[in-house]
Amino acid sequence: MKIDITEHNGAKVFSLSGDIDLYSSPALRKELIFFIGKKVPLLLVDFRDVSYIDSSGIATLVEGLRGMMSHGGKLKLFGIPERIVEIFAFSKLDKVFDICGSLDDAVKD
Amino acid sequence: MSAAMENAIEVTGLRTHYGQREILKGISISIPRGKTSVILGGSGCGKSTLLKHLIGLLRPTEGKIAINGRDIAAMDEEELNGVRRKMGVLFQGAALLNSLTVAENVALPIREHARLNESTVMIMVRMKLDLVGLSGFENFYPSQLSGGMKKRAGLARAIALDPELLFFDEPSAGLDPVTAAGLDDLILKLRNVFGMTIVVVTHELPSVFTIADYVIMLDAGEVIFSGILDDLRNSQNERVRMFLERRPETRTYSPDDYFRFIVGD
Ligand SMILES: Nc1ncnc2c1ncn2[C@@H]1O[C@H](COP(=O)(O)OP(=O)(O)OP(=O)(O)O)[C@@H](O)[C@H]1O
Ligand SMILES: [Mg+2]
Repeated sequence: MKIDITEHNGAKVFSLSGDIDLYSSPALRKELIFFIGKKVPLLLVDFRDVSYIDSSGIATLVEGLRGMMSHGGKLKLFGIPERIVEIFAFSKLDKVFDICGSLDDAVKD
Repeated sequence: MSAAMENAIEVTGLRTHYGQREILKGISISIPRGKTSVILGGSGCGKSTLLKHLIGLLRPTEGKIAINGRDIAAMDEEELNGVRRKMGVLFQGAALLNSLTVAENVALPIREHARLNESTVMIMVRMKLDLVGLSGFENFYPSQLSGGMKKRAGLARAIALDPELLFFDEPSAGLDPVTAAGLDDLILKLRNVFGMTIVVVTHELPSVFTIADYVIMLDAGEVIFSGILDDLRNSQNERVRMFLERRPETRTYSPDDYFRFIVGD
């Protein structure tokens, strides 16, 4: 997995690519915790180039969501490939996370 | 994907013994990737023995067990461990550790194979427990659970690492019909959502017709059927028909043999 971190209208954008699994989840966690510590108001995760996510990746995002909520910030996911949406749905998290189609949709409200 | 790799597992000429007794008599089978294969057969025919060889727990007397194209029968323990990380197993007796809570049991394979933060591990554990209908039982000990609950906790542990290959030995034995149907549903979803290769030993015919893509039937250590469900339904093999129609075994020995058997000669 690779993480590219950029800014978009005051939001942090994490662009992930590759597999989010046992080996890469800790790196994602570290970045999430860092920005949660800075109390960023909006964190967007770009899933367009993610090929696979396992339960450690999902659990890491759950921790990220909880961390963002603790200071009133928002975490949103966008561009999730259909197969990966199914994994979120299977884990009953498709309604827990704010899942958007595109970056534009994600910054709207 | 090459033709060979369409099968997650290829077993050739597998012979196994317990002591002097030959159990599997040179069997060859293929387990298709991303599908659910069911292993059927009467009690004592060697199903659990086969499963234990597929996961590398027992070593064969003869034959090859290729997983993703590599023979595990020829691997040393360290190589085998690498392959095992991709496997989830639920044994016939669930085999939970009694000194650990349910949550600790499920976390065991995660802690063994990965370096994750404790809070990440606990979220993973709770997600798996929820999948098997055991939310809220994290801090129970196995001795405080019913038989069916133990089985489901064992299942949560088997899927803790999102395995590529999942092995179940009679997962629904001892479960009430509703829980058993829930388990079938979970098996279907694991195959559909994660594309897992699943191998299930079961005696429950309704479950077979719900979950199986592929069926292998053993009888006295030999394969008497392998193929898709439709071929199973249409099979003319007498032993297969007996099993499907739940006909009892008819005794074939003579009164004299029976007499010798009960007097112990
Ligand atoms: N550890 C062992 N030592 C010696 N013999 C064994 C051992 N385990 C199994 N056997 C024998 O091997 C044969 C096959 O056993 P196995 O457990 O594979 O059967 P099975 O098909 O799984 O039966 P069931 O449906 O009752 O679980 C049986 O005859 C059994 O007595
Ligand atoms: Mg058995």
